[in-house]
Amino acid sequence: MNKKLSMVLAAVLWGLAGSALAAKAEVIIDHTGKLMDHGDGHLMNMEGAMIMGQNKDKLPPGCSSISEERSIEVHAGHEYARQFPGTMFGFSSHEWRVKPCTKLTVTLVNEDRIRHQWMMHGLPKFMYDKGMFHLEVTGPGKITGTMILPAEDKTYMVHCDIAQHMEKGMKAQLIVGNGSSPFPSIPGVTDLAIPDDYGPKVADSVKLPTPVAASSSAASVQSSGSGNAVFLLGVIIGAVGTPFGLTYYRKRFEGMTRDEIIHYLLNSSKSTFDKVLGLIMTLVAKFSRK
Amino acid sequence: MPRHQLALITALLLPFYALDAGAVFTAPTTAKVASGQAEPFCNSGAPPEWRKAQEVEGVWMQESRVCNPDNPNDIAAFVKGTNNISMQTLMDTSNLAADAITATNDLDGDGDPDHYIIKLEIMEVNGHSPDFPGVVPTFDIAPGIQPSFWVFVPKNRDMSTRSFASGEANPLLRMPSPPIRVEQGDVVWLVVENSHYFPHSIHLHGVDHPFMDHAGEGNDGVGQTSQMDIMPGQSKTYVIKPRQPGTMYYHCHVQPHTHIAMGLAGMFIIEENRPNNWPQVFNVGAGQVRHPSVGVMEQYKQEYDLHYQSVDKELHQIPQSANDVRLVAKKMNQEYDITESTDDYYLLNGRAFPYTLRESLIVINPNEKTKIRVLNGHQDPMALHIHGHKATETHYDGVLQNPAAQVTRDVYALAPAQRLDLALDSTNDGLHSFGSGLWMFHDHTERAFTTNGQGEGGSISLLAYKDFVDENGNLKVSHTMDLKPYFTREFWERKIPVWQDFMDDWGSLGAPSGTMDTKPGINAGATEASAQAAAAGVSGDGTGGGLLGGLGLGVALYFAYQHRERLIRQVKALLPKSNG
Repeated sequence: MNKKLSMVLAAVLWGLAGSALAAKAEVIIDHTGKLMDHGDGHLMNMEGAMIMGQNKDKLPPGCSSISEERSIEVHAGHEYARQFPGTMFGFSSHEWRVKPCTKLTVTLVNEDRIRHQWMMHGLPKFMYDKGMFHLEVTGPGKITGTMILPAEDKTYMVHCDIAQHMEKGMKAQLIVGNGSSPFPSIPGVTDLAIPDDYGPKVADSVKLPTPVAASSSAASVQSSGSGNAVFLLGVIIGAVGTPFGLTYYRKRFEGMTRDEIIHYLLNSSKSTFDKVLGLIMTLVAKFSRK
Repeated sequence: MPRHQLALITALLLPFYALDAGAVFTAPTTAKVASGQAEPFCNSGAPPEWRKAQEVEGVWMQESRVCNPDNPNDIAAFVKGTNNISMQTLMDTSNLAADAITATNDLDGDGDPDHYIIKLEIMEVNGHSPDFPGVVPTFDIAPGIQPSFWVFVPKNRDMSTRSFASGEANPLLRMPSPPIRVEQGDVVWLVVENSHYFPHSIHLHGVDHPFMDHAGEGNDGVGQTSQMDIMPGQSKTYVIKPRQPGTMYYHCHVQPHTHIAMGLAGMFIIEENRPNNWPQVFNVGAGQVRHPSVGVMEQYKQEYDLHYQSVDKELHQIPQSANDVRLVAKKMNQEYDITESTDDYYLLNGRAFPYTLRESLIVINPNEKTKIRVLNGHQDPMALHIHGHKATETHYDGVLQNPAAQVTRDVYALAPAQRLDLALDSTNDGLHSFGSGLWMFHDHTERAFTTNGQGEGGSISLLAYKDFVDENGNLKVSHTMDLKPYFTREFWERKIPVWQDFMDDWGSLGAPSGTMDTKPGINAGATEASAQAAAAGVSGDGTGGGLLGGLGLGVALYFAYQHRERLIRQVKALLPKSNG
């Protein structure tokens, strides 16, 4: 290459690098038409956009024909965490319902400037590699894929599998027919299986309370809170445990005469008495030495 | 109490004690503690051919005699760029994105690309799940030890785990953040896509970079002086054209006292400019560089990256303690106090002993020169020592020491964030090397060879001569103690007497019976539960009473339910009376 030309090129790369990449491209690039088909429903391009498990024509077992053609558009990004406090990423919708044997076309519109996914699990593995249908695109960008759902009533989990994206809001479900049991921790749909502990409630106040008062009131709230919990635990153990305790002692005393039972009880109380006495003696010894 | 009464009680009790008085005290016998289930020394599942010296896509790579070698397809992609390899090779990498490394434009016509676009994502391993009590995706630093980490990772594709069935993080997603290599004078666009749920940045410590880029954006990675942090879901491109070579450093500069410690830090190496020089852009998991640069190969046979880090388990537990990002932020930023912290785990290239033996061996032959680059990622100074060798300090912080003044010694001091290049000469002359062997190397700050205070763990690893390690990375250690206990969880849970099997067949340094659980692996769950129950029972004033009161009420409720019909009858009988 001509040396001078290359120097100019270098200068351009060096100089424009930042502006070229940093320019806030608001245009959402559609990657769908630019993918390379790798076979087996796997399409991809060099910008990292991909579809896995694409199926436009193979009927799953149990479907004699396609019942319905549906299209959904799902937006993904930080913006969709707005309505679910405590999350960081989200989908524009977290639940979809379709008929069995639907030919479903999904468009994932990623509004962030990182990768996001619309990954669905639980499809028949002999038709869909790893039982997955998967859309992935780095934003701002979008991608569209199609699959045909089996005849079975089933609820499929949909998520973004990037570490912590599902946990922090990108979890949804696709309900086919009457569906099956729902998944936990879907924003706005189901509760967290493991709820967060927000600690004792601190009153919002314009006037800041003195730190001492605040901390002592917080402490008292906490202790009474945990006291109630322990009391409740006691109630539960008592109510549930009593029948077991009764059975245990019934079994233990089974076949014993009244005298034997009394003897047993006396023996155990004697050993307890001995232990208490021993403890007192040690304490006395310690005390008198002083 | 009057004295004569005390005497009376004593006299009454004496016979009980007198019974024992004749026998000589015998200490409890030794109980044999079951050792728990040991993992095999090597369970990486890596195909043996991955370890061989080979060529993929025209990229040569050296033999890697360790249990867990790098995937050769990854190495090919890291050297040529994901844009210059076949689709098949890209698919055979460990989930590397198609746009992870774009290497183009041989501007000076010397046979190698001069423009690199390197994309990084930020991810969390061993993070919280709101769905089950475990962590996702998992990365064990030692058997059963899973602190959460945040790491820069080469841009991924597809799943974060190895498969849908596995919770284990994919091989790219691990500690430490990978060493990055570029060539001196190349134009590098370092693109950070913040896929984590907190703001982050990159500060290029020691790497020649302009304070502002040509577009007028801050390039120094410091929120307070350079540019706003990269928000979750956003990306930023850092632009550099480093003029000087050397071993440098990159790290997040947002809340750095926690973010560096959480793992957002790695080595950044600028290789000397040479014709046809293709540096291996990433060295995932650090350790051996299987494709050293032209400049390194001029003087050395091999090259290794050693990144030392430490972990305060209280800090690394925070992301696992809640799902709500605001709670995690509050605990990280307002409750955690680094001035009261202590380190619990010590890592070399992301793992603690014995896992270091699976991937961070330095494997050499006699009469060779090996380049070792060291980064001290601790909060404290460290003192690296290699048994049986005295290496030469050639560079500190990437700058060549005057050759006449280079020091050859056996303890190398590194301040926090400092980098040191060592030239290790394996010539057996009694000075540079004492000959072939399995020579341990470690930070000689003694706590660094413990894991949670228990030895021998921490960041120790081995300098292994090839006659002591087989082709698959297994150590020839039949002459040593059994390493199995180190590969059990129970050992690190302090449930196995360290020396019980050392001495003799009667375990003279085992556990006195009655002092330890003899089947810790089996009873682990039960003892934990009872310990928790016990803790709940004695937790503070009044709660014990609360438990008893509750218990009483519970029992009463049970009986009330059992005899509800009689109760209802009696209540009914009472009602008309009160009415009348």
